[in-house]
Amino acid sequence: MSSLTQITKSTSQIPIFAIIVLAIIFAVGLFVVGYDQGHIFSIVLGEQAYADLYIHELTHDMRHEAGFPCH
Amino acid sequence: MAIVLFSGALAGTLHGVANLVIVEPYLDTAIGIENQNLFASGEEEDTPAFWVEYDAYRDWQKGGQVLAGAILGTSMGGLFGIVYVLSRNALPRGSDLKKSFTLAAIMWLTIYIIPFLKYPANPPTVGDPETVVLRSILFLSFIALSGFGAVAFYQVYKRLQSKKIAAFVGYGIFIAIVFALMPPNPDEVTAPMDLVNGFRAMSVVAVSVFWVSIAVIFGGLWHKFRPDAENSDINN
Ligand SMILES: [Zn+2]
Repeated sequence: MSSLTQITKSTSQIPIFAIIVLAIIFAVGLFVVGYDQGHIFSIVLGEQAYADLYIHELTHDMRHEAGFPCH
Repeated sequence: MAIVLFSGALAGTLHGVANLVIVEPYLDTAIGIENQNLFASGEEEDTPAFWVEYDAYRDWQKGGQVLAGAILGTSMGGLFGIVYVLSRNALPRGSDLKKSFTLAAIMWLTIYIIPFLKYPANPPTVGDPETVVLRSILFLSFIALSGFGAVAFYQVYKRLQSKKIAAFVGYGIFIAIVFALMPPNPDEVTAPMDLVNGFRAMSVVAVSVFWVSIAVIFGGLWHKFRPDAENSDINN
């Protein structure tokens, strides 16, 4: 909630900082749900992540239902 | 920002739950066809052990999509918040709820429905894994073209003093050209058509649940907390 008060103070102009953060969240979220094929976990798990595809499996049904291309 | 992310996450969770209730039966049927194909080709055997493992796997996936809905919703909420903040003054006069509904309707149409008409959602078994990268590129480019096209014609709309309708017509012509020029989905649909159509219809309903939810939650919260309170009297 602290971010809320911050925004209240700074919205006389367009809150550039908030927009950048939201844009990053948008891009990351879209990638995770729509396109990740092991990329993100590979940062910590290495090559194994491309075989496990945890994020793909987890978000799989949503990919189909939201119209993302899949199998 | 909290409002934006919270609205997105909640609407996305509702989207996930809606999927669970109305779209899953179609997914199960489609994956059932895949299983029969696996048995027929000898890649898997139709044993109780297979089904135990399969059911556990599917339950996990079904739960996963609610979480996926929350993530996707937060993500789309971020986009929604950005566009709302930047375009709020141009949205129809009236309550925040009316503004958020107008924006949600525009976004629903330009980045979901129109792309859907060109590249409709497909249940499992339809897509060819060989073409998934191509299909992803086509899908994303079409959405981006439609979205940025809408932004461009929004700029036109703002500059026009009269005959603002021309901006809508302009977008319509633009997207019709894109629609005609983009290559079609290369995959042939081999699954039963009534399964595919039922799936698509329910998929549209579920995604629409998301856009209605985000409009209601976001508009309601914005109205309650007025993050733009300081300059609201100038804007309205
Ligand atoms: Zn799939």
